[in-house]
Amino acid sequence: MTSSVEQHPLGRPDTQQAGGQISLVDLLDRLLGTGVVLAGDVVISLAGVDLVQVRLHALITSVRDEMAEG
Amino acid sequence: MADQVTGHDAGHVVGQGRYLYAISRGLDPLVLADVPGLGDGRLDVLEHRGLSAVVSDVDLEEYGEEGLRRNLERLEWLEEVARRHDEVVHAVAEHGPVAPLRLATICLDDIGVRRRIDEWHAALEQVLDRVEGRREWSVKAFAPRAAAAQPAESAAPAEGGAAYLRRKKAETLTRAQGEEQAMQVAEEVHARLSAVSEASRRLPPQDPRLTGHVGTMTLNGAYLVDAARGEEFAEAVRAAQADHPDAGIDAAGPWPPYSFAMLEQR
Repeated sequence: MTSSVEQHPLGRPDTQQAGGQISLVDLLDRLLGTGVVLAGDVVISLAGVDLVQVRLHALITSVRDEMAEG
Repeated sequence: MADQVTGHDAGHVVGQGRYLYAISRGLDPLVLADVPGLGDGRLDVLEHRGLSAVVSDVDLEEYGEEGLRRNLERLEWLEEVARRHDEVVHAVAEHGPVAPLRLATICLDDIGVRRRIDEWHAALEQVLDRVEGRREWSVKAFAPRAAAAQPAESAAPAEGGAAYLRRKKAETLTRAQGEEQAMQVAEEVHARLSAVSEASRRLPPQDPRLTGHVGTMTLNGAYLVDAARGEEFAEAVRAAQADHPDAGIDAAGPWPPYSFAMLEQR
């Protein structure tokens, strides 16, 4: 996905939109950031027992690194 | 073996989990009838202790531990899920207060969802009270790009070593002053917008490689604005833009109150 930055920009330099769609980078800031939580990290709750905590920030970092290489 | 699982919750289909989008209050399931969930699944509204949880079935092959590990690293998958999640949250926000959940909050079954609501009940009520009738706006500001880095062509042709160093030092100083000034502008803009908001937060500045913006982002502000004060807020943005034409002040919204739905963790 070397050219993913060009094909799939996460946001636009000009995000001035009339109350419309949120840019992906703004959305991920919010959906993965410190703000939106029911628990500390993503929790996959199986039968009510929290089995796994996926560290999304680490994953996002790896996505960014991958994109930066492109 | 199988009856151990089915015995746990008769309605539960093996291999399926419940994806949790948002919590609201008094939500009529009919208003979500035409809104597709992930994988075009049907949205359900679980009522529990006065709260409405918006959920849909997801395949644990895709959304279980292994699946998430694999899929979260695929940007296309991440974007699709984030967009769908956002569309559901938007739809809920049109009909009542909404506390959006973080991406990929998944329970095995409805019992798990109810247990989660029990656990966070008081905090969820607080969040819904806080965001009711309010929307989020994003305002960003940027440092003017290389404000100080003027070309040095005008320097004397036979510039001596000392003069060169002096000029370099002056340039560095000017650049530092420019950054300092840009930071002050960001502080000031944030303070002005906070004054016309119910709550505000500064999110970490975004990486230009992700957004394509030019220059350093000095402000990535989120503002919780009351519906009745929307025009007042817009006016404050316009005033800030007029006062700081070089700061690239950019407003976007209104959005569901994503940045203000955090639960108080004790």
